[in-house]
Amino acid sequence: MFLTLIRQEFLIHLMSARFFAAVVITLLLVVANTFVLIGVHEERLADYSQREAVNQESIATTPTYSYLKLKVQRPPNPLSLFNAGLETRFGSDIDIAFDSVPSLSNPIIDVRPEEEQWAFGSEPSVSSPGAPLGLNNPYLRLFSQIDLVFIFQVVLSLLSLLFAYDAIAGDWETGTLRLVLSHPVGRGSVLLAKYIAAMVCLLLPVLMSLLLALIQCSFAPSLQFNTDDFLRVGGIVLTTVVYLSVFYLIGLLISTTTRRAATSLMLCLFLWVVLVLVYPNWSRFALNPGGDMRGEKRSADQQIAQIREEADRDRDRFLANTPLKGDPPLFFDTFAGVDFFRRGQWYLGNLPRMNVELRDTEDPLVTHLRRYYEFATTLQIRSAEKVGFVVQQLVVQTSLRQARWDERLMKLSPASLYTFVTAAWAGTDLDSMVDYIRAAGAYRLTLVDAFHEREAFASLRWFSTNQGDIDWSILPHFHYERADVGINAQRALPELFLLLCTNIVLFMATFLIFIKVEV
Amino acid sequence: MIWHIVTRELLDHLTSLRFGLTTFILVALMVTNAVGHLRTHPQRIRKYSEKVNASQTELKSRTELYALLQKGPGKLYKRPSSLAFIADGGNALLPDESVSGGFWRLYGLAYIWSMGVPRLNIEAISNLRPNTTVIDWVFITTYLLSFVPLLFTFDALSGERERGTLRLCLANSISRTALLVGKFLGSLITVLIAFYCAVLFNLAIISTGSWTQLGGADWGRVGLILLIASCYAGIFVAIGLIVSAVTRESRLSLVILLLIWVTVVVFTPSTLGTLSTEWMPPVQTHHQFQMTRGTAFDQIRSDFLNKRENLKERRQSAETSQEEVAGIDPSELEIQQEFVNRDMEMRERISRQHFAAQSAQVLHARRITRCSPAAVVQYALESMAGTGFNRHLQFLNQCRLHIQHFRNFIVEMDREDPESLHFIGVRKGMSEKPVSPEAIPIFEDKLTFQDTLNPAIMDILLLVLLLSVFLSGAFLVFLRSEV
Repeated sequence: MFLTLIRQEFLIHLMSARFFAAVVITLLLVVANTFVLIGVHEERLADYSQREAVNQESIATTPTYSYLKLKVQRPPNPLSLFNAGLETRFGSDIDIAFDSVPSLSNPIIDVRPEEEQWAFGSEPSVSSPGAPLGLNNPYLRLFSQIDLVFIFQVVLSLLSLLFAYDAIAGDWETGTLRLVLSHPVGRGSVLLAKYIAAMVCLLLPVLMSLLLALIQCSFAPSLQFNTDDFLRVGGIVLTTVVYLSVFYLIGLLISTTTRRAATSLMLCLFLWVVLVLVYPNWSRFALNPGGDMRGEKRSADQQIAQIREEADRDRDRFLANTPLKGDPPLFFDTFAGVDFFRRGQWYLGNLPRMNVELRDTEDPLVTHLRRYYEFATTLQIRSAEKVGFVVQQLVVQTSLRQARWDERLMKLSPASLYTFVTAAWAGTDLDSMVDYIRAAGAYRLTLVDAFHEREAFASLRWFSTNQGDIDWSILPHFHYERADVGINAQRALPELFLLLCTNIVLFMATFLIFIKVEV
Repeated sequence: MIWHIVTRELLDHLTSLRFGLTTFILVALMVTNAVGHLRTHPQRIRKYSEKVNASQTELKSRTELYALLQKGPGKLYKRPSSLAFIADGGNALLPDESVSGGFWRLYGLAYIWSMGVPRLNIEAISNLRPNTTVIDWVFITTYLLSFVPLLFTFDALSGERERGTLRLCLANSISRTALLVGKFLGSLITVLIAFYCAVLFNLAIISTGSWTQLGGADWGRVGLILLIASCYAGIFVAIGLIVSAVTRESRLSLVILLLIWVTVVVFTPSTLGTLSTEWMPPVQTHHQFQMTRGTAFDQIRSDFLNKRENLKERRQSAETSQEEVAGIDPSELEIQQEFVNRDMEMRERISRQHFAAQSAQVLHARRITRCSPAAVVQYALESMAGTGFNRHLQFLNQCRLHIQHFRNFIVEMDREDPESLHFIGVRKGMSEKPVSPEAIPIFEDKLTFQDTLNPAIMDILLLVLLLSVFLSGAFLVFLRSEV
């Protein structure tokens, strides 16, 4: 009997116009958007390799150790096709330098006039990711991008409500419910049969569109998924099923509580509008607007100013004991920025980035210079780390906290919860970006170690261009590896569990109400 | 007779559950929007006036004509629109200030300020917060004023046909036209009652703030915006009636309508937007843009160096050393003048080209997305509210005009001075008379009613056209349909 019920429900759904129409629309949207998304991914990939080439070239032509301007990048994540998350919005390349520490965002505002910001004299600071990949025309961001998860989130949740709204109320109206229950079949099994049949029907468009998307991807040589990626996609599909089941059960609950299918439909649709469209946008706007963080920022600014002053004092103390003062005669400039020196800025003071030709390496001043640069650079590294720490605290207190609160508030809607869980599976969520910044920070430390090992800071090549070419192959290689599936799952499971719990609660509620309901 | 039907429909709708739910959601959203505007707008205005004041004081502190030319008119700022709550229009992303086109100092010379490519506020998209849409009137209109009409009309004809009341109705001396018009007006008025009610709340809250009060022209714009929104709602009422007239079952009609809605309103504006640029020639990347500018600059610089060499050689071959007056050599100054001015023109030209390619893509994408009424209404509302991409283009145009005006002013001031050598762009060749701060032209970002209406006219006409097409479509379908 149970199986008959399932089969009957299944056939009814399968042959209904709503199912057909929804499947057609889903597939059309998936195909069109996959096409767009693959294009976007290819553009990002091209941008990635171009930037990589520019970086390599700039390293190869760097004349001195101190002049090294290193950028690392995060390769585009192919799973952003499913859920773009932060991946396509968050910056990709990040400066790795002795005097700046990678940070999620850079709340320190540079107040110098635009012209001077280009100057290379630098203070210990932080570096935050630059522009996102593939942003040739940033104006196109005026059109929001749509990923596959968004299509499921909107269209299939609507479909599951359309399946559910008349499941009980409709049967009740037409009288079939009474007929069915006159058979020796429990109310629980009727409910379960309806649920199972609908879920199987909902799974079909998901799998079909997944198949289509993967076929499209196989035509694009740039998009390659490995085994781990397929596991992640599996996680996304699982989450999708759980998510759709939440909406189906919401519909079922409404359907059991209302007597008329028309009322149930109205309630379902309005609830859908609220949960999927309105609440996720509304919550951030109304409940968590950008608060006033000026207090925190000011105190951080003070701390940073203190660190910088302290560094300046240390350096002045060091310089007081050396014969290095003013404009040493043994330099002549090889670059265009002469005016900066002429304007009376004491260039030993601020910048350990140097690029000069030495006339006479035997000059006793040179030894002092080497010692000075070794001292100044280590000082700079140390104070940059201090500044980085302060900024990290600030970011955790301000932007990171705000973002986490946004997430928490949005998670009250199953639709947003679904987005966040799939982002965690795809590795495009906030945690993955934090991972990336951490990897960049670790890379900076290995770089510093590698330089220490070669005693680069005290060498002539630190600041002098005419000491022969530098072998840049000593640079440690940076390659950002996405977190493995286990970690993705760890991040996704708590919220997936939350979705599952919602399912169970909704099912129990529906069951209890249905048992008591008069047929 | 029509009015009889209209009132009956109205009463039916007004007492229904959907009307209550609609009003609730609309009012909640509108109140959120108003409160948000009250909170953010004063800050925005304050920041704008602070920045403008700072830039103007800096401008007025320059008394030397050369410094005025070299440093340019300072930063020019976009005035925030007082109707920003109606359409945000990517406000956070679009730049609100002019940008310089690059700087250098070589051979004792310096760049002249040129207008660069406006720099987008990447922070707006690359921050850590989840991606959401701003709740403004555009959001409320495009999503809800299309969704709600469908809910009121999906069973308007098919439901009556199912129950058999349609046959009953038409058995009386009611023409099908009258019935259809009655249904149309009844549903539209119901939707608009809920919408206007929410709008009243919104405007009432907004007028309480002293910073956010609207002027006379603003009220005119709000009136037009309400008309546009009503027209948009009318389109979806008509679509609902068409589908309802075609289908036998109201359930089927609803399913079809919902799917049409999802495709047209939720997906088309964004998917088509990005899809349409796939087939456009790609724009330069930032790196390529910089390389182009760099090579152009190198070319100009080497021209300058050659000319200078030539001059020196000629001087040596002439070797008469015809005494330059007080160490100033007019022909040398002329070469220098050519150098800095060519550089400035090159920078502005290349920046303009780069921006033109970018904006061509956006404009193309906007043209394509106009096949969705949701996009049309969004663009119309943005233009009317003085935000969005059209406004951005307008602002850049005004900047360009102002810079021209500013440069003309400098040339004229220089011409008035008989002691000047009239080499614009070189310090030694320009007038040294101090300029009175009052005379310096000041940038004023103006936005007249016409400026907002002109770009919107096209969209408004399109909406009216769509409305008439769908309405007549509903007539045709209903006239031919069997009862």
